[in-house]
Amino acid sequence: MNNYLKTALVVAMSTCTVSIAVAQDKIINVGLNGDIRSTDPGVNRDDNTDAVMMHIVEGLVAYREDTSIAPMLASAVDVSPDGLRYTFTLRDGVHFHNGQPLTAKDVQWTWQRYLNPKTQWRCLAEFDGRGAAKIVDVSTPDAKTVVFQLDQANGLFLAAMARPDCTGSGILHPDSLAADGSWRAPIGTGPFTLGKWQKGQYVELDRFKDYTPRAEAEADGYTGNKQAFVDKVRFEVIPDSASAKAALLSGGVDLLPDVTAMDAAELKQVKNLQIQVSPIMTISGLLFQTRDPLLKDVRIRRAVALSLDYAQMVAALSDGLSVVNNSVIPTASPYYDATAHQGYRYNLDEARRLLQEAGYGGEKIRMLVNKRYPQMFDMGLLSQAMTQAAGLNIEMETLEWGTQLERYQTGSYQMMSFSYSGRFDAAQSYESVIGDKAKEPRKVWDNPEALAILREVQREVDPVKRQPLFDRLHSLMLKDVPMVAIYNGTAIGAMGKRVEGYRSWPVAKPRLWGVKLADTSK
Amino acid sequence: MFRFILHRLGMAVPTLLLISVIVFALIRLIPGDPALLMLGDMADPQSLADMRSSLGLDHSVLTQYLIWIKSVLSGDLGVSISSRQPVLELLVERFSVSATVVLVAVLLATLLAVPVGLLAAWKQNSAMDLGLVATATLLLSVPSFWLGLLLLYVFGIQLGWLPVIGYVGFASDPMKAVTYVVLPIITLTLVEFGAIARMARASTIEVLRLEYIAHARAKGLSEGAVLWNHALRNAFAPTWTLIGLILGNLLGGIAVLETVFTLPGIGRLMVDAIFSRDYPVLQGCLLLITCIYVLVNLLVDLVYPLFDPRVKL
Repeated sequence: MNNYLKTALVVAMSTCTVSIAVAQDKIINVGLNGDIRSTDPGVNRDDNTDAVMMHIVEGLVAYREDTSIAPMLASAVDVSPDGLRYTFTLRDGVHFHNGQPLTAKDVQWTWQRYLNPKTQWRCLAEFDGRGAAKIVDVSTPDAKTVVFQLDQANGLFLAAMARPDCTGSGILHPDSLAADGSWRAPIGTGPFTLGKWQKGQYVELDRFKDYTPRAEAEADGYTGNKQAFVDKVRFEVIPDSASAKAALLSGGVDLLPDVTAMDAAELKQVKNLQIQVSPIMTISGLLFQTRDPLLKDVRIRRAVALSLDYAQMVAALSDGLSVVNNSVIPTASPYYDATAHQGYRYNLDEARRLLQEAGYGGEKIRMLVNKRYPQMFDMGLLSQAMTQAAGLNIEMETLEWGTQLERYQTGSYQMMSFSYSGRFDAAQSYESVIGDKAKEPRKVWDNPEALAILREVQREVDPVKRQPLFDRLHSLMLKDVPMVAIYNGTAIGAMGKRVEGYRSWPVAKPRLWGVKLADTSK
Repeated sequence: MFRFILHRLGMAVPTLLLISVIVFALIRLIPGDPALLMLGDMADPQSLADMRSSLGLDHSVLTQYLIWIKSVLSGDLGVSISSRQPVLELLVERFSVSATVVLVAVLLATLLAVPVGLLAAWKQNSAMDLGLVATATLLLSVPSFWLGLLLLYVFGIQLGWLPVIGYVGFASDPMKAVTYVVLPIITLTLVEFGAIARMARASTIEVLRLEYIAHARAKGLSEGAVLWNHALRNAFAPTWTLIGLILGNLLGGIAVLETVFTLPGIGRLMVDAIFSRDYPVLQGCLLLITCIYVLVNLLVDLVYPLFDPRVKL
């Protein structure tokens, strides 16, 4: 009897242990350097908000790993020969988080909401005619088809639609809004649903159990097979980088999606950690105010460009993880070719000759930097030191980031060490620098010829025809030197060894679908 | 005493009004506005203008001030530009976190530092005095963030006894909540210990030189009785003023510690508001801090006569 009881007890206890182990949720803890702003995708947002929301909502198209565009909620995209009609066929079997099937009417409703100025969608300007083209109509010929009619051809239409800062123009169910039209919570189609948001502390996402992944074998950027394998993702808000590092080392978080190159070098030495590196689309370099009495002389600007030892500088700035890139087309872009690879060659003698020819007598040049983004400060510091050898007298002025951004917007500077946030199409990269300074003082390159080429490339849809236009722009930019692009950043993810399947990528935002947690308890 | 309290509170009204004007104007003098920071380097002029208009920043500063002060007087501190959460709700939520840490830390620091100061003064110029003063000076000089990180490294990473990041409210799980605030409280206690101990020592030395202490000794009282019954009460009065100042200062935010320990307190809220130019939150924080200073100073003044009977309200 006694033995019976013992055996029964042992069996009961082991069953309990097994059932507890089975029932235990697989939770991945991810460090985030700031809280999200809201749960309203693309409206009240910032980088962290986009990163989290891209797990909840999906758009018709999305960026691939190589930053080209591919269908996501659409199974096919058909563009009319004149480039004015985009027809999206929706995938079968897609459901919203509330169980409702995705229909063309939902897509139409979402876009009507985005295009309503009252929504204050971040990307409205890209689609209401202020940008390259205007959406004049969104129609739904049947439950699986949505047609977008544009007023003019726009080669950037799909690229703009997929932009992460527009949260991929994620499609929402109308129940995301309350009866009075106010925002309630995102009901999307993504692999995760919104769990709990404890403001200032964490955001928790739950796996969407009825998620219908695409047929591809693997995830590809923001598209492909986005099946989630963990039950919960918990984004922990950790503003201090030292504390974030401590959290990773102690196992408090499993993954830090964005660590500095210096921290990466240190974390690489830790036995139970792994590092993932990817080039990203940010463009870091020195901006010149070409209307400045001194810097309007292209010879002085060129002298700055020639006095920089790029290889040494980029090695120091990125701890050897990035490469030199004097083009505004990021190295990860499919448009980065042999022409874009051509850049400035370090030549101190030529720099000195140009300065002499320009009659430069050591006048002070003020360069704005900030300490919020250490790489901008360090880039300024190294540039100052290197240009001294050519006889340039550059003085650094350190500003708070918001102040520097204001000076950038108003064009009130001589020189600036600056990083552009990632643009995923080469035309978007050029669009951020080319323009009429009288209308938009933030634009650094005011050249009518460049502007004409940009307009042409913005209209063109065919990648083969776009490439020579980008090449022309790059050659022209090297001649004009309105700025010196130096390198593209890197996304460095640091994670525990039990994290499997996580990849850093050029869009530089974490993706937690396709990620598994190995059982380390054995 | 009631009249004194009313008088002091009445005096605070113009102070608060003046502070509100200064705060409102100063924040807007900082270049860069919330719209610019929300839209970043991709902002085109039209989007910026639309965003500024939607945030009410297209009105004149005077109009903006009048709208804000009218809301404040009716008990509405506005809505955060970043999170769209009511500012009052945010302040209450975040202040409770900071207040818990600060009040416990200052209480502990006082309980530890005052006897130590007393002992050091009693044994003035001895090896023990030297040791205690050196320890207090060292703790006073150590930056709180460094000490915090050191404790995190030892107790969080090396020993794994305490969590490194996160926060759990006392209402949801009191036992777990304690584990999250232990390290910030220890850090703050150690940092404030130095200042309080030094002040307690200095004021006790002053008091021990007075004639009534010599008289007490001449009466044949034991040294313990002289110290505890006669010296402590008088020596504590200046220390109490210092504690009041420390409390006012710390309750206004321990931004650095909150950042290191990822505590969602008022200090971090304020720093985030500065970086994102979240005007309503920043204005609310600064008004709250002013109120805390006024109230803490009032409380210190009200309690002061208990230690020094010469002071009458």
